[in-house]
Amino acid sequence: MRFFFACILFCLCCQAQALESSSAKTTLADLLKIQQTIQTQLPLVQAAVVAIQTHDGTASGVMITEDGLILTAAHVAEKPGRQMRVILQDGKRVIATTLGLDQSADAALMQLNDNEVKWPCVKVSRHVFKIEVGQWCFALGHPGGFDKERGLVLRVGKVVKKTANSLQTDCVLMGGDSGGPLFNLDGEVIGIHSQIWEERDQNMHVSMAPFFRSWDDLKSSQIIHVWGTGSGGYLGVEMGSVEDAAVINVNRVAKGSAAEMAGLRSGDIILSLDGEPMQSQSQFLNAIRSRAADTDIHIQVQRSGNLIDLKARLGSLPKEDAA
Amino acid sequence: MNWRITFLMFFAFSSAQADLRAPLSASERTNGAQTLTAVAALEKRIQIMTAPVIDAEGLTLSTASWVGSEGYFLTKASDTPKLERCKVLIRPSVTVAIREIHRSAVHDLVLAQAVGVSGLPALSFESKVRPARYGQWLVAPVKGGQSVRIGVISAQCRKILGGGAAMGVRMDEKTTGKGVRIAGIAEDSPAAAVGLLEDDVLLSLDGHTLNSYQKVHELVRDRQPGEQIEIVYRRSGKVAHVLLRLASRSKILQNWEGEDFANGGISIRTDNFAWVIQHDLPLSPQDMGSPLFDLEGHLLGINIARVDRITTFALPTEIFWPAFVPYLEADRHPPKALKAN
Repeated sequence: MRFFFACILFCLCCQAQALESSSAKTTLADLLKIQQTIQTQLPLVQAAVVAIQTHDGTASGVMITEDGLILTAAHVAEKPGRQMRVILQDGKRVIATTLGLDQSADAALMQLNDNEVKWPCVKVSRHVFKIEVGQWCFALGHPGGFDKERGLVLRVGKVVKKTANSLQTDCVLMGGDSGGPLFNLDGEVIGIHSQIWEERDQNMHVSMAPFFRSWDDLKSSQIIHVWGTGSGGYLGVEMGSVEDAAVINVNRVAKGSAAEMAGLRSGDIILSLDGEPMQSQSQFLNAIRSRAADTDIHIQVQRSGNLIDLKARLGSLPKEDAA
Repeated sequence: MNWRITFLMFFAFSSAQADLRAPLSASERTNGAQTLTAVAALEKRIQIMTAPVIDAEGLTLSTASWVGSEGYFLTKASDTPKLERCKVLIRPSVTVAIREIHRSAVHDLVLAQAVGVSGLPALSFESKVRPARYGQWLVAPVKGGQSVRIGVISAQCRKILGGGAAMGVRMDEKTTGKGVRIAGIAEDSPAAAVGLLEDDVLLSLDGHTLNSYQKVHELVRDRQPGEQIEIVYRRSGKVAHVLLRLASRSKILQNWEGEDFANGGISIRTDNFAWVIQHDLPLSPQDMGSPLFDLEGHLLGINIARVDRITTFALPTEIFWPAFVPYLEADRHPPKALKAN
């Protein structure tokens, strides 16, 4: 069965980060050091990685507190309050309850029901912004489901790209890895496996940023539909499907947003921003995000065959839009 | 068997298409040129120990690993059923004929000789068993030695049970009378490869007339992946026949609607191995038969099956090599003909 869809990363804020990848060549000694580090970390982190049974498949997760808090992906948890079966390293099955989730970033929390036990757990890296493109990392998970003979499947690779909410690595992921942890070489969680594209190097992980940003809400079982984050401007339009990414059609206008106040409506097609023709949704988004909040902008739209000029004052991104 | 549905993402947000121009250049990635400079010395040594096995059309079927300087090599058996019709590409545009010596269905390896060559850099099989540890770096040549790839031992070494063979057809269980109607074909399956279609009626397998779908199961069940089976079928009134090479049943069930982004496909036979090292090197099915080394250049095994997007199995040398040594020795030193009195 084909379990994957080439899927588009929700990415309202993927400004390229400053790159700091050294062009120094890797040496044999470098590789041996990485091997030694990872082989030291593996026995320390393995017991915290779990398999999660969903209603129609299997996924992964990682325990991060002794009382049994689990990080996983939102598309694994699906909604708060679900009882899910969790498989521990030794094959023992226990039950966890899903807490909150951030659907746009694909981040979710779960809590093991039995919190009397001291669960094995790993540390989470608090230095979200210190992750460098090019740094080594390793991924663990239960691709294809729990298999006691095989054990956890390890992948070693590098951070290929980072955005505000996610990391891309060349640690190749597969079905069942979803929700599993990506570690730095200190054995701290820096990402949660989220999605893949077709190419081997297109493996996406939720970074720790969405977790930290909404930690209290996630713990209190909120569903978060974040439009995006960062310090750039915010208009408040949801654009059309990805098949026609060259057409910037307004699907939905957020309530109380700059777009609503400017009079944008669903069905409008955005043609230009401050006189600059807009050729694609990503160009438009980047142009909005690269302007500061409170900037006045002009947008030309096409509405039922007419060209209409609209003025808007960009807002700043709402922290969340809790349902 | 009821296969677990595994999954990983799926939410199509209406949003901007993410920018895929990745900041880390290809050469800086794990298997990029800059990273591979770490194993440059090893690459020079090991890339000459392999060569592609090509068919009559020049397509690469598998990779040969030299095990004797006189042209003796090992390669994956189930990908090279008619090995003597193939050639070894020993240098660009230089091909050599092949003589098959011993084929092992157990290990899915075949010992053969590239005829008329000598002085080849053969693999050295040490008597000492090298440890294969979880998380350990590995190196293997790709594309018959054009370059190398690195990766790690990604899971516990273990036995892989056999799940039997399959053609990749779903049969109409209600068919009565002569033949069995095909109700569905698996993507990337042997049946799809030979062009069988839904609604074709299977009339016989290897000369056995078919009158029920159970008979098909019975005939296929006892075979091994990689074995050929002759099929006579009827399509719109016309009878035709075709030779089909069976694949691992587990591979077909797992990938009924196509491989999961395996990037380059998966091997015909992916199970029934006595012991395997599992690793994450990005190899192709055509790279199977190639040798696998640790960072010091010690031979650990032979790559035997590309299983999915993240998995390759290798057979450790101690598992298969003792079984081939007698055949190699016997071929090197044939009994001398007795003098006629």
